[in-house]
Formats: sequence, C-alpha cells, structure tokens
Amino acid sequence: MRSGHDVVRGARLSVTIDGQMIEAFEGETLASAMLAAEQRAFRLDKQGRPRGLFCNMGVCSECLVDVVIGEGTSRRLRACITAVSDGMSVTTGSAT
Amino acid sequence: MSAADFDYDLIVIGGGPAGQAACLALKQRLGRVAVLDEQQRPGGQILRQPPVAFTVRNWLTGRDYRALQAQLKAFEALDGVTWLGGRSVLGVQPEGDGWRVLASDGAAVSGFTARRVLIATGCYDMTAPLPGWTLPGAMSAGAVQAFVKSQKLVPGRRIALAGAHPLQLLVAEQIIEAGGQVAVVAFTQTLTSALAKVFRHPRAVLSNLPRLLGVMMSAARMMRGGVPIRFGDRPVALLGDSEVTGLRLEASGDVACDTVAFCFGFLPQSDLTRAAGLDVGPGRVGGWVARHDDWMRSSRAGLYVAGETVGVKGAEAASAEGRIAGLGILLDAGRLTESEALIEAASPRRRRGRALAFSALLEDVGDPTAFTVLKPPADTIICRCEDVTLGAISQARNVASDPGAIKLATRCGMGPCQGRNCEHLLLQQLPGAADTQPGFRPRFPARPVRIGDFTA
Repeated sequence: MRSGHDVVRGARLSVTIDGQMIEAFEGETLASAMLAAEQRAFRLDKQGRPRGLFCNMGVCSECLVDVVIGEGTSRRLRACITAVSDGMSVTTGSAT
Repeated sequence: MSAADFDYDLIVIGGGPAGQAACLALKQRLGRVAVLDEQQRPGGQILRQPPVAFTVRNWLTGRDYRALQAQLKAFEALDGVTWLGGRSVLGVQPEGDGWRVLASDGAAVSGFTARRVLIATGCYDMTAPLPGWTLPGAMSAGAVQAFVKSQKLVPGRRIALAGAHPLQLLVAEQIIEAGGQVAVVAFTQTLTSALAKVFRHPRAVLSNLPRLLGVMMSAARMMRGGVPIRFGDRPVALLGDSEVTGLRLEASGDVACDTVAFCFGFLPQSDLTRAAGLDVGPGRVGGWVARHDDWMRSSRAGLYVAGETVGVKGAEAASAEGRIAGLGILLDAGRLTESEALIEAASPRRRRGRALAFSALLEDVGDPTAFTVLKPPADTIICRCEDVTLGAISQARNVASDPGAIKLATRCGMGPCQGRNCEHLLLQQLPGAADTQPGFRPRFPARPVRIGDFTA
C-alpha cells in the first residue's frame, strides 16, 4: 500500500496488467505499481506455481514480466528496476 | 589504444557510498569520469533515492544517514562526472591497456571504454531457504526497505520480519513510520547470546553508544506499540497456498501475515569481479570478496574494488574505501605522488578502521549460523530460478562432488540470477567447500539481457 504522508507523487498514469487497467504514478517502478494493485504474482515457476518479487534490487530476476512499451515489441524485464510509463502493457505468468 | 581513445579515464560501477567517495576524492584531478548504476539515481541501496518525479519531505533524517546524505549531496553537485543511471552492467572486459564495460538499459546494450575501472557494486541480501519461501509475499528485508525508502510503498498489509541481523529492527521501525503493520520481529539468536556478543567488543560499544542506545530505544518503542520482538525464535516455514498467509515460528507458533521479510545479513556482489577473473576469497557468511591491496587495487592492473564487494561492513567503511580507491587511482595515473596520496589517505584509513570495529560487532551479533546449520526438509527449493530442491542436490552429491558438476547434474545455478541466491546455499551443503571450491564458473552477462541486443 502506498504511504500517504510526506510524499507528493508524480503524474497519474495507467498501466495494463494482464488486460486489467491499474493506476500508477510517474516515478514508480512497475513492481511498486503492481504491489500497490495487490498483484503479487509476477512469474510462474517450472511447475506453474506463482512467484513474487523477492530482492527488489535487480539481482534475483523473480520479478521478470513481459512488457510492451508503446508500439514496441514485448521485452522480458525485471519489474523492480523498470519505471512505469503511461500505457505500458504487462503480461505476468510466463515461466522463466 | 592510447589514453585519448578511451571514452573515459575512469568508469565507476556503482553510485553508492564507495563510488561517490571515489569520485569526490578525485577533486577534478583525473579527467573524464563516468558512473554507471542499475538505479536511475545515485545513492546505492543505503540511500535509495525517491524518483525525481516524487517530492518527499523528511527523507531518511535519522542520525546514521546524516554523513551519507552530505556525501550524496556533494557527489550530485560534482562537475565533470557523467552519471549513467538505469544501466545494468553485464561485464567488464579487457580492451587494449584499458577496459570495456558493457551495459544494458533494458532497451539496448552499449559499451563504454576506460583506462581504469572501479567496481563498487555493493552487496545484496543473503537468502535462507525455508518451506514456502518461494510464495509471493516472501522477500528480503532489503526489498521491503527499498520500497519504503524510495517508493513510499509498504509492500504488504501485515509484515513479519525474521532473521539474525540487527538491521531488521530498523526495517521494522521504517515500516511502521510509513504507516505499515509489523506482525513480529523474530531473531534466531537468544537475547543472552546477542548481548554476550555485543560485550565482546567493548571499544566498539563505547565509541558507538548513541547508535546502540538508539537501537534499544527503537526496540522499546516498538514493543510498547504492540510489536512483538522475539529472540531465540527461528522461522520454520512460510504458510499459504498461492501466496503468504502466515509465518511459522519455532517457539511462538503461527503468526498471521501476508508478507515475510528475511534479514540474515548480506553477501558481496561478486558477479563482475569474478567474471573479470579477479582474485577473490570466501566472504564471512558466504559469497566471495574481491582481494585488494592498500590502494584498493584488485589483482588485475587497472581494475579497482571498494565497498561491500570487498567485504560487507557497512556504508561508512565503504565510503572510506572509495576515498582510498580514488587516491590510489590518482597515484597510478601519475596525478599524485605516493607521499601526497598517503597524506590524503590518512583520514579515510582511520575512518575505515573505526567502521570495521563496529561492523565486526554487528557481524558477530548478527551471525546467522544458528539458522543456517539447520537443514530444511528435502523438498525445500534451494535454487529459485530452476526449482532445484535440497533433495535433488543431496542426490546429485552421490555422483558429483564439486559445485560445477552439481550445477550440471541438477541445473542449480543455471537460471537468470546465475547462482546469486543458491550458490552459497549449495556450498553450505559441501562442508569446507567455500575455502577449497571455486563455486560456479561466472558467466557473461551478469544480468539477464536479450540476445538480439548484442547484434542490434
């Protein structure tokens, strides 16, 4: 959950996670926007079990998701070090 | 390749306390300097800054952050240092009599050349495997702290902290300050053993009294606020089917929570140092520390190392080492004589000595061995990327003895994290291995990147 005091966030924008529109703020990482929206599963493991973000510093790759920015092609990115941008479209649940 | 052909005279990898201090030590005596970092803004994990688009009041105002904040401010005001944030360094390779640093910004891979490179990549949370630790909602204490510090986000409704490192008291307090709820702070060691270890370091206690009292007062405040702080209470399992719904503690039983943060200490980042072929030695609780001389020179000419990547001991020591590395670089570049460098290095060397005394205390108190000696059940996942269980590793040990062979037999360590989360766990299963075994062979690239980006 977003902490309310002592902070003014960036501009409101929207991101699509598995087809569902969620609210995000400029400056947030994709991981933050997803957790704020209670989207806690990022990828699936080899047995198809959900996995969540783990290290939040780019080391563990547990937060890999498929991201399409604008008209670009889909890229597999670590949500913890990827900044949200308006209209970003994200697919969770791929196996690494 | 002559000096003029390099993009930079120095590339610093890592904009944390060590990297900043190295740049500040240069005082514009070197020429072109660039700093690469995986984060968009400088600060490192300890001062993970809010994004530029946020306005945050009263950001990390605590006493322990003051000197670091001043250093960060001075670094950001430096002229002549090119900041290259938002880039994951994939590898450091020789190029002529210098180096080429390859980095990805998520969209493309670029190369930057430099006569000299300082690797100051810091550390990361050491994992500790438990049944259920792969459920969404399980994360490192560092992960929680980074959300709170830089994103103003509490990553759960009710967070349980478990581990051995005293840092978890600070993390708990930061969660509460941010409006979050802490279900429990559980230490694996008993209070008696922790206090006995504190008093093995009387001089560090005396010179850090305000800091230690601060920790005790924060613990008292939390307990008054209804947060249970338990000692001698080891985590046994994380509960839940598709995500965390609780934490099972050995003594306290089941605690309801939706997030569990582990705090067992830290491992040095060693993927770049090892892939560059630098001499390394075993870290105290695991991982590898890069070896260095008095000027933070690594075993290869032109590559320098500083901060937690040479041993986890806190931001103050890291900053002092960064200063020393900067001076060593000026010395090697002929911009300082040895006696000039020695004079400038005297103060950071003293600071480093003091900081090491305190970190020795923290290391001793936060010793995770009481937990790591316990073997989790055989079906516990050790390698998170490839879903390799402890049982699979035990089985592979019948036919393979060294980490490389076990990796081939089980796929342990073959995933995108390249063993950062499982290599030390595997070595714990091979007694004495950390002293005698080289671990996994480091592979390029250090971070996941699309193959097509290399040919684009």
